[in-house]
Amino acid sequence: MMMDTLHTLIVETLPFALPLFIMAIGGIYSERSGVTNLAVEGLQGFGAFMGAFAAVLVVKKFMFFAPDSQMPMYIALLFAFLGGMLFATIHSVLCVKFKANQVISGVVINILATALTGFLTSQLNESIFGAASSQFKLIPSARFSVPLLSQIPILGAFFTNVYPFEVIIIVVALSAWYVLYKTPFGMHLRACGDNPHAVDAAGVDVGRVRFLAVMLSGGLSGLGGICFAYSLSVQFSPSIYMGYGYLAIAALIFGNWQILPTLGSCLIFGFARAAGYNLPLIYDMPVAFKDLFMILPYVVTLLLLVFFSKSNRAPRALGEIYDKGKR
Amino acid sequence: MKQKSGSIGPVFRSLMGDEKRQKITIPLLAILLSLLAGAIVFLLLGKNPLTGYVSFLRGSGLVPKANYAAHKNMFTDFMSFVNAWTPMLFASLAVAVAMRSGLFNIGVSGQMLLAGLAATLTVGYSGLPAAVAKPLVLIICAVTGALVASLIGFLKYKWNISEVVSSIMLNYIIRYWVSFCVKLPGISDPKTRQSMPINPNARLSLMDTEIFGLKIDIPLGIILALAAVFLIRFLFDKMRLGFEFRAIGANPKAAKYAGINVGRNLVASMAISGALAGLAGATYFLGYVGSIQPDTLISTGFDAIAVCVLGNSTPLGILLSSFFISVIDKGSTYMSSSVGVRQEIGALIKGLILLFSACGAYFSYLIERSRQKALESAGVTQSGKEEERV
Repeated sequence: MMMDTLHTLIVETLPFALPLFIMAIGGIYSERSGVTNLAVEGLQGFGAFMGAFAAVLVVKKFMFFAPDSQMPMYIALLFAFLGGMLFATIHSVLCVKFKANQVISGVVINILATALTGFLTSQLNESIFGAASSQFKLIPSARFSVPLLSQIPILGAFFTNVYPFEVIIIVVALSAWYVLYKTPFGMHLRACGDNPHAVDAAGVDVGRVRFLAVMLSGGLSGLGGICFAYSLSVQFSPSIYMGYGYLAIAALIFGNWQILPTLGSCLIFGFARAAGYNLPLIYDMPVAFKDLFMILPYVVTLLLLVFFSKSNRAPRALGEIYDKGKR
Repeated sequence: MKQKSGSIGPVFRSLMGDEKRQKITIPLLAILLSLLAGAIVFLLLGKNPLTGYVSFLRGSGLVPKANYAAHKNMFTDFMSFVNAWTPMLFASLAVAVAMRSGLFNIGVSGQMLLAGLAATLTVGYSGLPAAVAKPLVLIICAVTGALVASLIGFLKYKWNISEVVSSIMLNYIIRYWVSFCVKLPGISDPKTRQSMPINPNARLSLMDTEIFGLKIDIPLGIILALAAVFLIRFLFDKMRLGFEFRAIGANPKAAKYAGINVGRNLVASMAISGALAGLAGATYFLGYVGSIQPDTLISTGFDAIAVCVLGNSTPLGILLSSFFISVIDKGSTYMSSSVGVRQEIGALIKGLILLFSACGAYFSYLIERSRQKALESAGVTQSGKEEERV
């Protein structure tokens, strides 16, 4: 019984933790370059919208694929990334070019994303697909278990009922890690968040690096958003704005703005959520108890900030508008 | 193209005015731009934008409709608009007080929600008479909001934790906690899946009250909200505390050097902000709506940040900007049914207004730059003429 429960919880952890992780990496890209990004919530929603729209369009309008084909999902992932980047351009322009306040810009983008995707979903459903609906229904993603590996006790759970997007996320996350820590661009990006004046003195355009960083941040968030759409509800609807973008921000703060520790925090958060959703079912508790489990990630992050405020290192120039003349 | 901008430039500059006048003209420009963008949306859908905008006003009881249901007229529409406006006004004032001392209270939604829950559980279901219950609701909400927000201020002062981050954490802690409580048997209404409707004695809005054959929603909270506008104005302009807030907001180090107790003021400004957020929660959950929906963090607290920016973070500006945004919020239902477009257009126009208002700093930068250029080119032509003369 105990082992079975643990197995279920681990299987349910990854489909939540990995999209959260890729969104948090998006947040890290933006924040390490010195741009506060509260827009993750809106960016993931807009990305998910674009991805879901692309998937529905190729299936219903153009009928490119066999009904059980998994191709639309890969198209959705690609368009979610592009859609997230597109919407993040607003944040880039506002924060980098217009020198607007980054917190306000983030909040406004979240409001706009909710309104715009809600409007467009209903409008497109009506005018293109001829159906009054506020959601895009997706084709459920196939899940697979790795032979042999999934037979290992407990650890095998990591290889059981895997969504294909989990593999993609791991590949993208590895590349994101490589770019951030091992390439000149990554170094410039991190330097922009700590000491933009030094970057400028070295002859690199701070605005350009930040602009790109925020766009990449949007792309990664959008990818996370569409994965949530596939794993949580198999549709795009306004319920995508559940606040998981903000949870990703909590995860990256918990992970001290670094990619590997952030993976750890996402796994913990995902496990807490899986426990919240499954334990009440298994042990016959009222469903409301899942809400109590969902409190944990936020409480733990807050406590961590209090007790490790000394060792917690936000990028030094985070949230500051770069002004060449200021010194 | 260049010639055109040259001929529009001076007119535009004189319209926008100097720095003082820009405080009014820039928000107006933001509104104008977003209304234009909204008009394009209406046109794309094949509707007349003017009819669309007028029907927002009709839905809020500012322009008469063609016909009304029984016991309803323009005045009852206006009163139910005021009912929806009150929480937005309180919430925007809450943001403004924190912003005065350089803090972002993006936890207004959470503070509203917890305040609403506290008052609902303690007073909402009790049988207390109205004269006791209503003031008690206000006190409980204000105190709850103030406690949550001053915790945020304290964390900032004591451990230098960004108020934005702690607000987000508290928002979601509160959201899930309230959902847990509201779903408990005895509190949850099995039919609506919301919390049970509160006792009318505890409700701050008198719903569907019959006066002269009309059924009017009377939001008592608006009196308090309007009073709050002038109290906050007094605080900002006339009181020492308000001056200290502004000094800290402008430059915390200089304020500390000048002998201002920064820590105490941070907590104080957050406490006042939170109390206002609590009152927003009171007028929303125990006034406008009358129950609490689980699993949702209402958007009012986030909208309020942008409304505050649109209103230049001054109480009178917020009075106008929150009124305006509420017209679009409240009027969108009627606009949707009468014009035959989706209700979401209201939210879209609102989002655009907030987006353009966030660009305010850039607008004033553009105006300043065009003025500089005009001065420069004027100088160049003048010196050129002088050279010719020589």
